[in-house]
Amino acid sequence: MSGRLPARPGEAIDRGRPLTIDFEGRRAPAFEGDTVGSALAAAGVTITGRSFKYHRPRGLMCMTGACPNCLMQIDGIPNVRSCTEPVREGMRVERQNAWPSVDRDVHGVLDSFSFMMPPGFYYKVFQRPRWAWSKVEPIIRKQAGLGKVPRTEDHEPREVVNLHADVAVIGGGLAGLAAAAEAAAAGASTVLLEQRREAGGRALGSADDVDRARLVAEAEASGARILLGTAAFGVFDGPVVAAVGGGGLQRIRARHLVFATGAVEQPAVFPNNDLPGVMLSSAVELLVNRFRVLPGRRAVVLTSNQDGYRAARTLRDAGADVFVVDLRAGAGSADGLRVIPGSTILSAKGRRGVTAVSVGAPGSATGQSIPCDLVVLAGFSAPSTNLLAMTGAKLGFDDDAQAFLPVELPPDVHAVGAVAGARTVQGAIAQGRLAGLEAAAAVGQEPPGAAGRMEVLRAQAAERGDPVVLPPEVATGEGKQFACLCMDVTSKELKAAAAEGFDSMELLKRYTTVSMGPCQGKACMLSAQRLCARAAGSSFAETRPTTARPPWTPVELGALAGWRRTPRKETTIHDLHADSGATFMWAGDWRRPHHFATPEQEVEAVRHRVGVIDVSTLGKFRVKGPEAVELLERLYPNRFGDLAVGRVRYGAMLNDEGVILDDGAVCRVGDDEFFVTVTTGNTAALERWITWWLADWRLDVRVLNVTGAFAALNLAGPDSRKVMSVLTDADVSSEAVKYMSASSFEVAGVPSLVLRIGFVGELGYEIHFPSMYGEHVWRAVMEAGRPFGIVPFGLEAQRVLRLEKQHILVGQDTDAESDPFEVGLGWMVKADKPDFLGRRALEDLAEAGPKERLVGFTCDPSWLPPEGASVVHEGVWVGRVTSARRSAAARSVVGLAWVPAGWAEDDTEIEIQFGGAHAKAKVALKPFYDPEGARLRS
Amino acid sequence: MGLKIPCPNCGPRDHTEFWFGGELRPIEAPDAREDFRRVYLRDNAPGPQRERWYHLYGCRRWLTISRDTTTNRIGD
Ligand code: FES
Ligand SMILES: [Zn+2]
Repeated sequence: MSGRLPARPGEAIDRGRPLTIDFEGRRAPAFEGDTVGSALAAAGVTITGRSFKYHRPRGLMCMTGACPNCLMQIDGIPNVRSCTEPVREGMRVERQNAWPSVDRDVHGVLDSFSFMMPPGFYYKVFQRPRWAWSKVEPIIRKQAGLGKVPRTEDHEPREVVNLHADVAVIGGGLAGLAAAAEAAAAGASTVLLEQRREAGGRALGSADDVDRARLVAEAEASGARILLGTAAFGVFDGPVVAAVGGGGLQRIRARHLVFATGAVEQPAVFPNNDLPGVMLSSAVELLVNRFRVLPGRRAVVLTSNQDGYRAARTLRDAGADVFVVDLRAGAGSADGLRVIPGSTILSAKGRRGVTAVSVGAPGSATGQSIPCDLVVLAGFSAPSTNLLAMTGAKLGFDDDAQAFLPVELPPDVHAVGAVAGARTVQGAIAQGRLAGLEAAAAVGQEPPGAAGRMEVLRAQAAERGDPVVLPPEVATGEGKQFACLCMDVTSKELKAAAAEGFDSMELLKRYTTVSMGPCQGKACMLSAQRLCARAAGSSFAETRPTTARPPWTPVELGALAGWRRTPRKETTIHDLHADSGATFMWAGDWRRPHHFATPEQEVEAVRHRVGVIDVSTLGKFRVKGPEAVELLERLYPNRFGDLAVGRVRYGAMLNDEGVILDDGAVCRVGDDEFFVTVTTGNTAALERWITWWLADWRLDVRVLNVTGAFAALNLAGPDSRKVMSVLTDADVSSEAVKYMSASSFEVAGVPSLVLRIGFVGELGYEIHFPSMYGEHVWRAVMEAGRPFGIVPFGLEAQRVLRLEKQHILVGQDTDAESDPFEVGLGWMVKADKPDFLGRRALEDLAEAGPKERLVGFTCDPSWLPPEGASVVHEGVWVGRVTSARRSAAARSVVGLAWVPAGWAEDDTEIEIQFGGAHAKAKVALKPFYDPEGARLRS
Repeated sequence: MGLKIPCPNCGPRDHTEFWFGGELRPIEAPDAREDFRRVYLRDNAPGPQRERWYHLYGCRRWLTISRDTTTNRIGD
């Protein structure tokens, strides 16, 4: 059964524009306007995939993107719902989840071994013995699962779009179109979101297109902004509606939300209800009326309302042989259709597609067999309340609708159409119009005469259709009865799980994975809830639907991620570094030179002559105000009240737990002004930290982050004073510019703050100046230093140099538990001063004494222990290495490591181990280079 | 996702511009026991909560709001 029915007005395909798609290496014809699903159906493909667990064949079921049956790999992207995916010339389409092919999947034998996969089998089977799981898991993972993740780069980055409106209508069926048309016509700015590429919802498949065409035209003319192909997947606080479509993520903020999300048709549960050829009426109507494909020649329609008769007429008019099985005892033959009243489908038969059904009175053991190649389940549906429930709307069971409907809505939230229980087209449209008018009025756009119209609409909106009759349960017979197609959960498994005590929807869901698959309950909520109720001995009305959570429709992660942006900061001297061939590395958000020549050459130059490093990335704060001293005294355990103007003190900030947050230089540059430097990567966090406390302390002081405003260089080495004297007219003698001083003078003609401090352990100057002069000062320094053999040095050389001096790096050598006593900074804690951050914790820590200590060590240079290497004692882990480098000055490896406090003594032997390698090392508490600091002070 | 925070300096802004600073807690405590509570324990109670937000991508100031942790409604 392939090919197309004769053309009819209103069909979706454009027969004048044929194209071809590549279906598993074969060429399949299609027309513009087709979806992949409809094109394949026309080509006679009835098996669209294999099921998740048992690898059973599955075919098109809903044609609306609400079930898992038609997921395919399209142009490399897995899990695309082929039934709604428009065709494009040459697109590559493959079915998934089968080996070697969907048509002959060898794993289909799993179906016969299903006794091995009871509900919760993930939790039960293969857990003992332990080793078995590691063997079995990869095999299970390969068989179960959906599609292949593409290995290549993700495609285009996605936009994130923010939309603002008075009224947002979610769902472009008839009710949604009516709401949008009214609200926009009244003058409210209105957005309508419709997930399909065409508006009309359920009416899209109907043979007569009058209502739909009229409402689409009206909505378009009203000025409403209609976003097609845009699927709302979540409602968040604000409220914000999140939707995917239009090439990215849409975030819609509106004052009023109108939910017109409709209802999803649901399958009935009977043995082999998952066979290809068992379809919902939505699929049949769309295939026949829109795509002109007849999905079967001999059809049995199971129904209890008008939907079934409409589908039956559609099929009959297209030339099929049709039986209607009506659940209602009183149903008579209508419209010349053959009707079997008071009956249901007891089971279906077939292997690769349905070949017959057994029909009989509910509860009977046997029935009459009717050969058929199509079974249509028509008119059973579940309102799509998920998005609505995310607003906080309360749902309650409605007997007439046999469904959970909204009974209480949050302010400014409206529900219209099938989601609100409307069962007639006219009722749904009236509800939509009414909500549109109400929302417009509420935002101050009430059109003249609205009151009268609303009166009339209210009466029409209250119109209800016939009560719903749902198919009865069928006794367990031959063949599986699927409640959840995504996860392959059968009614028998649900009953078994309920018998084990998992007897509420929430528990069943977690235990059996029912409704946890790609459809997220769209195609199974009704069956799952009803079966759960029966298994638990309660009624449908007493079950509670599971909590609605985003995403309601599948969302590509790329859409949520949006653009990938990696912030990247460069100092104002960056281009010069690049010109001189620096190799860069990341340091937080910054790009910094790792080395220029080789780190060894750079170290050698700094130790014997002079070097310069760009330290513009240092965090810098200006702290100014009458209570500046008070602020620092509270932030640091150090004392600053006695720091003279023009002097620098090393300080470390602690948190409430006495843990070191950061360290750096605090310079007094005036009576009530300080210049504070902090570690590059900590700047933003410290700004938050300091201003957090300031918000409570309310001291009379301003803290300004001037990191970007100032560039900084560290000029270091025995010849650095000579270079300085070329760069400035100021007196830079050791008497004028003392160790640990902060002086202001011009360097290369630029007003600078010069700190005589030395992280690298040599005579040195940290020069801070306005960052716009970065290149100028750098060039001047290189020029002045040339006669002395100056070299620029990078981070790697700096690390070696600082390690030779045992200067710690907070965050590298310390962690979230390190206190000042442990790292040898106990001297800076001034216990006799008034309260400061961490004081209480330090008192306890001081009393207990440190359990571990950060100590220096040396070991043989034949092996460089990596950071994180273990310190072991008699085979037991007792500590770890935080930094280690080869040092020419010490003629060995030098490093820092955490060891038990008792071992913090010179020459204690420790053993370092990593992987198979190990080395003997010796504790050294004094710096490896210039232990007395004579060079620093010179 | 759609929480809007009223910044006294910048006006109402999307919460993605902010850094959450947690529930407001005392800045000092009379004794060690209370200080332990202050540092390590949080009430984390449903209902209105006084809390701090830092306007990271705006004025870089801390502000204090009252937010209902069950509804996200911000008020006083
Ligand atoms: S047939 Fe495509 S999702 Fe159901
Ligand atoms: Zn602000």
